[in-house]
Amino acid sequence: MSMHASSRQQVLARIRAATHPAAAAAAAYARLPRPYIRRGQRAAGSCVGLLIERLRDYDAEVVEAAPEELPATIAARLAASGRRVFVAPPGVPAEWLASGYEWRVDRGLSTEEIEKAEGVVTAASCAIADSGTLVLHHSAAEGRRVLTLLPDWHLCILRASQVVETLPEYFDRCAQPPAPHPSDQSPSLGTPVLATYISGPSATADIEMTRIKGVHGPRYLQVILVRDTN
Amino acid sequence: MSQAKGEHAILDPALAPPFPQAALPVLRNPQLRKNVAHAIDVIQAKRGRLVAEKADWQELREAAAAIRAHVLENLEFYLEQFEERCTAAGGHVHWAADADEARQIILEILRQAEATEVIKIKTMTSAEIQLNPFLEAAGIKAYETDLAEIILQLGEQEPSHIVVPALHINRSQVREIFARRMGLSHLSDDPKELTNAARAYLRQKFLSVPAAISGANFLVAETGGVAVVESEGNGRMCLTLPRTMITLAGIEKVLPRFQDLEVVLQLLARSATGERMNPYTSLWTGVTPGDGPQNFHVVLLDNGRTSILARPKHRQTLKCIRCAACMNACPVYRQTGGHAYGSVYPGPIGAILTPQLAQMHHAQSLPFASSLCGACYEVCPVKINIPEVLLELRSEVVNQERSTAGRVFDPLYLGLRVAHLIFSRAWIFHLAQRLGRIGLRFFTRKDGWIHALPSAGGKWTQTRDLRGLPPQTFHAWWAARAREGK
Repeated sequence: MSMHASSRQQVLARIRAATHPAAAAAAAYARLPRPYIRRGQRAAGSCVGLLIERLRDYDAEVVEAAPEELPATIAARLAASGRRVFVAPPGVPAEWLASGYEWRVDRGLSTEEIEKAEGVVTAASCAIADSGTLVLHHSAAEGRRVLTLLPDWHLCILRASQVVETLPEYFDRCAQPPAPHPSDQSPSLGTPVLATYISGPSATADIEMTRIKGVHGPRYLQVILVRDTN
Repeated sequence: MSQAKGEHAILDPALAPPFPQAALPVLRNPQLRKNVAHAIDVIQAKRGRLVAEKADWQELREAAAAIRAHVLENLEFYLEQFEERCTAAGGHVHWAADADEARQIILEILRQAEATEVIKIKTMTSAEIQLNPFLEAAGIKAYETDLAEIILQLGEQEPSHIVVPALHINRSQVREIFARRMGLSHLSDDPKELTNAARAYLRQKFLSVPAAISGANFLVAETGGVAVVESEGNGRMCLTLPRTMITLAGIEKVLPRFQDLEVVLQLLARSATGERMNPYTSLWTGVTPGDGPQNFHVVLLDNGRTSILARPKHRQTLKCIRCAACMNACPVYRQTGGHAYGSVYPGPIGAILTPQLAQMHHAQSLPFASSLCGACYEVCPVKINIPEVLLELRSEVVNQERSTAGRVFDPLYLGLRVAHLIFSRAWIFHLAQRLGRIGLRFFTRKDGWIHALPSAGGKWTQTRDLRGLPPQTFHAWWAARAREGK
């Protein structure tokens, strides 16, 4: 807004008067110390094991499945949930949408329609074992942000090749441009415009530090880990 | 209730009583002290376990401290880069020199959006500029959506911590507030039931209110993106459902690159709540067609920050990422709770931030609200040397006081001038020692301790004993030893 243009000048002038950078920002940035751990030391299998342990530690339910078992495993999780009406992003494979349930695929669903759904099934972009974190970059198979927010039950399908051990490993995947074709299974993700990192179901400890699962976000987080690596 | 009428906490540094006075209601309230101590014990134990789990904790702190210091040194560059990239992504960036200007900018945006209600993600910066009462007066109702903030808003109480702001309120007190304000007389004091009541209370607001206000945990200069960390999902609701979104952020909140989040996100949740990662972290960049608010504004707030930036030793205050580890570790905060600090920023970080944001015009008692034990520095994930800044501020407060006219005959300053005289000449010092030994002999008991002194000295002996002066000084003993040829 133009009426505040002078405040912009004023604040920047105060900053300029207060700071005296010795070198160009980029050069100084390149010299910043980075002594922390970038790459984890675990083998792929033990990394997936750690992720499962940490997801469960924060109240997510996790099951493993071989690639060919995935549709049946999804159907079993849906059945066990006791729910009937589900939403799904437009980019998920058709075989995920098990028969016998009411599926509303998000091609412009209204907020009210999403709110009425009892659950949601999505893919993910990555998972970080160290912190038990699922990463959504909200691609066509992960859905708009609201899709994984309003339904009370979220089933997330994750491939073992998407699991990294440390948070810096995830950021390394973001530093590479994404694969031009989603089917080529490249781990590169590119820098996200939108991202949501989910570590367990929504929770609060605001009353006497007692951890209560489920406040406004989904109260139930389910993960199927597909063993696509050996 | 934890606070009887008339004891309502005042968190405006311009109006709050000095720390020792403001601390009294808490010190006299055993229930409140118990609530605070319980909450802090739980967080501290969880934090300790999870920090021990990280083999590279100290290395992460070192990296984070260097990144934050680098940002402050290059703040102009990174803020302009953020502004450019956020604008290119469809956001609107505003600059506010002070609290009043920030409030006016936010009001103007809400009026243009024709919003009479606004939902809020917990933001200390909005509390700093006292936004809610201002909006209320302008006819806009602000709904807090973080559980602790709902408890405070409905209970008409003030925050006492920056991460768990209602930690001073226990479950039966929450039950009382919710039963009264939500009309739920059957409610029990089970935290699960109370949490569900808050979920039901807010659901319709999330789905219908057209505008939201958030703070920012981080602004990313490289992408023009904003990051918000939270636990409950109320933040995701506010960031996703309304048409208009306003993010109020202090100018110091910027990070150079997206990748820098790999450092601060590993430190923040572990330091703040003792979790490996908070349940939800949201990142967004300007406006995304078809996903979330299509009208997005960032308000960059100075409000005294550039004056802190200008002072080299004080500048580190602005490295803070608001994790609250310092207050959880602080032996003073543990006893007094947050309200005693008379500011929305309590604890050790508040003790250095509040007087500086007030340009040293208010809150001069806060730099003294510390034992200088250094626990805050030890736990700080960005290595702010809080004791160093406390000492700087103490000397500034003393210089301020000394130059005021009434202080010339103040007993404290008279005493200090006499002490200055005694310590500046060896012969005066030796004379004073001799006189002291004679004078104090009358008060020293057989056990070698002084249990009671008259007049001003009584202020010391009221609470602790004083060792009597030994019959011989070290100097005298050393000189005698030399004479004996040893």
